[in-house]
Amino acid sequence: MSNLHEHEIKKPKVDLNYSSDKKPVHSDPSPEAKPLPKVTIDGKAYEFKPGDTIMQVAERYKIHEEIPRYCYHPGMPIAGTCRMCTVEVEKAPKLMTSCSTPAGDGMIVHTRSEKVLKSRTGVMEFLLTNHPLDCPVCDKAGECELQDYNFEYGPALSNFKEEKRVYDDATTKKLSNDVTLNMNRCVHCERCVRFTDDVTKTNDLVMVNRGWHKELEATTEAGLTNEYQGCLTDFCPVGALTWNDFRFKKRSWFLSKKPSLCDGCSKGCNIEVHSDADIVYRYVPIHNEMVNGHWMCDSGRNSYHSYMNPLRVTSPLMKHNGELHATSIETLLTEVKAQLKNASTVQIVIGTDATREEAALLKEKVPALIGKNVAVSYFNGTNGVTTAADDKKLDNLLKMKDLTPNTRGVEEQGLAALANGEISADVVIYFRSGRAGIPKMKADQKIILWGVWSLEEIKSLPSKNILAVIAGHATIEKAGSYKNADGIVQKFHPAIVHRGGALSAHQVVGVWQSLT
Amino acid sequence: MKTAAEYVEQVLTKHVNEPNCHTLDFYVKNEKGYEALRKALTMKPSDIVDEVKKSNLRGRGGAGFPTGMKWSFMPAKPVDANGNSKPKYMVCNADEGEPGTFKDRLLMTKTPHKMIEGMIIACHAIESNKGFIYIRGEFHKEIRIVQKAIDEAKAAGFLGKNIMGTGFDCEMIIYKGAGAYICGEETALLNSLEGKRGEPRLKPPFPAQVGAYGMPSCVNNVETFAAVPYIINEGAEKYASFGIEKAGGTRLYCVSGHVNKPGVYELPMTMTLREVIEVAGGVRTGHTIKAVIPGGASCPMLRADEIDVKMDYDSLAKAGTMSGSGGVIVLDETVNIVEAVYVLLKFYEHESCGQCTQCREGSHWLARMFKRILDGGGNTDDLDYVAKICGNMAGQTICAFADAVTGPALSSVKKFRSEFEDLIRNGGLHPDKGMASSHAKEGAHV
Repeated sequence: MSNLHEHEIKKPKVDLNYSSDKKPVHSDPSPEAKPLPKVTIDGKAYEFKPGDTIMQVAERYKIHEEIPRYCYHPGMPIAGTCRMCTVEVEKAPKLMTSCSTPAGDGMIVHTRSEKVLKSRTGVMEFLLTNHPLDCPVCDKAGECELQDYNFEYGPALSNFKEEKRVYDDATTKKLSNDVTLNMNRCVHCERCVRFTDDVTKTNDLVMVNRGWHKELEATTEAGLTNEYQGCLTDFCPVGALTWNDFRFKKRSWFLSKKPSLCDGCSKGCNIEVHSDADIVYRYVPIHNEMVNGHWMCDSGRNSYHSYMNPLRVTSPLMKHNGELHATSIETLLTEVKAQLKNASTVQIVIGTDATREEAALLKEKVPALIGKNVAVSYFNGTNGVTTAADDKKLDNLLKMKDLTPNTRGVEEQGLAALANGEISADVVIYFRSGRAGIPKMKADQKIILWGVWSLEEIKSLPSKNILAVIAGHATIEKAGSYKNADGIVQKFHPAIVHRGGALSAHQVVGVWQSLT
Repeated sequence: MKTAAEYVEQVLTKHVNEPNCHTLDFYVKNEKGYEALRKALTMKPSDIVDEVKKSNLRGRGGAGFPTGMKWSFMPAKPVDANGNSKPKYMVCNADEGEPGTFKDRLLMTKTPHKMIEGMIIACHAIESNKGFIYIRGEFHKEIRIVQKAIDEAKAAGFLGKNIMGTGFDCEMIIYKGAGAYICGEETALLNSLEGKRGEPRLKPPFPAQVGAYGMPSCVNNVETFAAVPYIINEGAEKYASFGIEKAGGTRLYCVSGHVNKPGVYELPMTMTLREVIEVAGGVRTGHTIKAVIPGGASCPMLRADEIDVKMDYDSLAKAGTMSGSGGVIVLDETVNIVEAVYVLLKFYEHESCGQCTQCREGSHWLARMFKRILDGGGNTDDLDYVAKICGNMAGQTICAFADAVTGPALSSVKKFRSEFEDLIRNGGLHPDKGMASSHAKEGAHV
């Protein structure tokens, strides 16, 4: 990758569902260049690119919060059916949908005229006629667009005196193991249908019937089969589609939201970590046009479970009388130092899920601390992937073959891949943060594990001679940077505070240095 | 009482009562069959468009858009992104579904060749080589007859390759709809033709740019096509002379309801609604007119004292209603207006495609509200709210369906408010029988 992009993951200021990377455009200042057309929105003139719709111009200048919408989503084709985004265009006989009306030079648009607000109140009233008032038990409450827009535009009272529409089995319908559909709450924006038609191209969902009893159904009996089902629950403006993994776990207003990176594969999707008291409840994608667009895959979304695993090692463990026992990092490192001193050959293996900074640290500092000739290599461990060259796209969207986040970043250190995927020295230090695989090893090989490990993993290792486990931080708990499959370097900061006894690699090296 | 033929020359329906009028032989022998096509093929396409423009022919599907102008919107030489030329399509809208309208059905069963000839001429006029006839799925008999007529025309060399040795090719394909009312809307029809859900498309782009299968297309009604051979044969001036200044020719009026002789009548547009009803034998003997829907179910209704209005597009628009598809529904004093409108609203509730919020929820709401009033649960506040709901629906959606729903609902409350108030006061339509009317009994689930 010739052009390196380096940028920091930042929390977007706007709602996650609507974030857009569109930037303001400016006319070429040279006199012979044709100036860009201008549209006036709420009394201010904005330059735009020919072909932009009114909504897209608003997105460029970050004034799109003035225009509510349900069916419009910047990552999907335009439907123009919810009629919530209508604006008044001077000289147009009717209100126009801003999502589908191309901006024109000299056009004068009002997003908050009396006529517009009346229309929005009308739409809200219509949507609420059949929407159940079950916000207290609805998972979307607190981040629901129907709630938000109703607060802003909705009518104070409704005259709807008829019975509300109720679908059969509405609250218990499972579209797949991961997604539950509550059709009673649906506002028929059909983002989900367009997503499976045009983004994943799996055509999983379809609306059956017509008019007011139009119902969302899976096209096959297998239900949803695409691997981006979580996205359906992200952009569903109401609580119609909910993510089973998150359902009934936490009210959304208790969540603290910090940006980070997904380390589930070499794509490096930008995510927001939603946690409360440093317990993670879900990952949600953040829009980044260069990396993941608006989406993330389900396996990445579920990957937080391995960090929240109760069997994860969160304090230093040392072998004593044939068993691993918790100890202090100082005691552990003193013992490790002694073992390394006696060893005839020592090898350091860096998992390709280490950050670029950790890889540099392990390559530069640790061999010096050991004080002898140490072979340093890296190991990926994904089935069929040894180096970054083996990586490839698995589908037309995001999924990559390499299931570690930083193969390119570790390769940058000029290291070689672990020969045959097999460790060979007397004593081996293997550093990984929970994503790289397990190299081949002999049953009596002395191994020091470092990073993110769980007790099940340690038990299942071929070697029964684990000298120590140095517990480390996971991606969401540490700062650093990854270089993804497209050569984009992305920095990140801790999204949650690690509450156990694990230490960052730099802290461990600091303690080690203090011992000498 | 004069018959329709005494008012105007029967351009479309002169022979519809004669045996075998649907066959090619009959058409060629008695109606100068396919002579207009022979003449049109010697004309330049642009001349045909000009001729149709001169005839003041306006679309007979309901909107009344000038046909010649519609044809002239078709791009001359459309090309795709790679510079390859794109085909153009002619589409015939034979999805006649407007309640109270049955004129296309008559034309298809009785003179299918008139429509086919008109369509071939139209194909030549817009330089298209393929026509789709989208026929409503319930019209089994019509589909058979039109298919047979196409086969006959093909065998006689009026369709297919090298028509009459002029080198012009034209193919005609029948597509059977699945019975959705909304597929009569031209863009929903195009979606349905492509095999998608019958939901109207966002405009722009208009069908003349992106139509059937993404190609420039022109959609016209059966009656519009059927008028074309006459215009070519007899000249635009003669056709135009049957009509008024901005709308030429005769119109088919489908008079139904409480009249003595319901049926399709071909009449000039210079007549008043009262005269049209008179031609159909007048209101049934011994009764008086209460209300008239002048142009198919979606038009606002008129009271008995308002029917001296002229039946052309503009006069009806001035009277606050529409000329629509020509379906005149006459209701006499035995009809309860609330019940009649509820039947229409139930139809609209069932037929709304459900894309746009206002239409999906509003049509449902109105139908339920009218049912409640019929059942005796009404309140005078409801009547004020009908206007509010209709105000929120009309003109706010992708297609004109929401406007169609508000037509009967709003006009009935405005013009027959006392009937609603009677129902509210008396506790419903049949207060003795509790939850009452036969229509209202059908449950909440359609």
